[in-house]
Amino acid sequence: MAISKDAIYEKVQGVLVDALGVDEEEVTPEATLREDLGAESIDFLDIVFRLEKAFTTDPAKPFKIPRGELFPENLPAMMSDEQFVKDGRITPLGSEELKKRMPFADFAEFDKNPTVQGAQNLLNVQTVVNYINSKLNG
Amino acid sequence: MKFNLIDKIESISDSRLVALKYVSLAEEYLADHFPTFPVLPGVLMLEAITQAAGWLLHRNHNFARSIAVLKEARNVKYGTFVAPGNCLRVEVDVIKLTEDGGSFKASATVNGQVAVSARVELAYVNVSAAQPELAEIDRRLAAHNRDRWNLLSQQMVQL
Amino acid sequence: MRWIWIDKFVEFVPKQSAVAVKNVSLAEEYLHDLYPAFPIMPHTLIIEGMAQTAGILVGEARNFSEKVILAKIGKAVFHRLVRPGETLAYRARIDQLSETGASVSGTVRLGLQSDGPVVAEIELMFSHIDKNLAGAQFPEHNFVFTRQFTELLQSYRAAANITL
Repeated sequence: MAISKDAIYEKVQGVLVDALGVDEEEVTPEATLREDLGAESIDFLDIVFRLEKAFTTDPAKPFKIPRGELFPENLPAMMSDEQFVKDGRITPLGSEELKKRMPFADFAEFDKNPTVQGAQNLLNVQTVVNYINSKLNG
Repeated sequence: MKFNLIDKIESISDSRLVALKYVSLAEEYLADHFPTFPVLPGVLMLEAITQAAGWLLHRNHNFARSIAVLKEARNVKYGTFVAPGNCLRVEVDVIKLTEDGGSFKASATVNGQVAVSARVELAYVNVSAAQPELAEIDRRLAAHNRDRWNLLSQQMVQL
Repeated sequence: MRWIWIDKFVEFVPKQSAVAVKNVSLAEEYLHDLYPAFPIMPHTLIIEGMAQTAGILVGEARNFSEKVILAKIGKAVFHRLVRPGETLAYRARIDQLSETGASVSGTVRLGLQSDGPVVAEIELMFSHIDKNLAGAQFPEHNFVFTRQFTELLQSYRAAANITL
């Protein structure tokens, strides 16, 4: 049974409220996980764990988020690689790499101004919702 | 071990307190945490925060009650390790103060890096609240708290 | 003083759950520092008791090959004060375990009864720091699981009652 995007959003919102200790009103689609909601390294693991629990409907077939699939690891390493980042701006090769690693993110804003900050902003609430939606509804 | 996790209060206002905890290899528990990598245990960073918030309560209530205990800790996140020879700078901001305690937002840094951030709620109570015959204990504790405060606040800046 | 906040395991189900106990004794020096006229077990040391119970549970789940470090206390809620002469029972359960870390929840009660008075409810997250570097610097060898901790588990498994 497919779950609606609205229902996914509500569950994601609940997870972020619990994991990050923020208020529901703060969890808007454009809210970035790091900057706006204060997520740090350990929080990303917490979010993954809680999402897996929230979206598991059948214990025999648990919803799993493979390591690095939702929150790409090595992004910091990528950010210091000259192939991908030069003078605080993401190179075309870098953009390509980001799009490969985060196909569920919305790159519209980022493409207008491909900076390092822009790359970090890709990780927002909507991105998480898109990811879950793509996993559940194909 | 002396369970006083604040060595000095740097500054205080009605809504904010900054205190310091120095970490020394002489502290016994470091021998176990860990023998080959001595670092301040995370819960002791939280204890420093709790005690700092407790001092804010004591000052705001003029030592009216004797015990400031941790009622709730939420979203306590640990960052950098704190090694001996370093100073942990604890900053506590009031979120809300009530008659029976308060909630606070706090963080502690070492050399400018965040070691811990947390939200805590403290309960401010008297031992004699439920048993009036224990008022003597509260008097003794209040005197002890004031003495301790005098020691810690000698170079404190009042903001 | 030793940095050990549980006295023994009374239950240990690998990769699942564990119960450890701690006796609060007037002989413990730190009890007399904060509130000399009214010794109470500091709540942060109760959190540490849960962290040690859960940390060994999480460590054992991967054969003590990971450096299991307390990374986050999601919440710790306290319901009552604990006095000398009381026994604390820490009941921890692994909620999630992965390569990079684990989340554990637990309840602290007075006494050994599974329905004893609740002292605290605690949710913790551990990081396997070799997998989750985040820029910190630490030794290569496993400095976390010292004999102090592994011996606790050994004692549980070799629970021999030696009568004289």
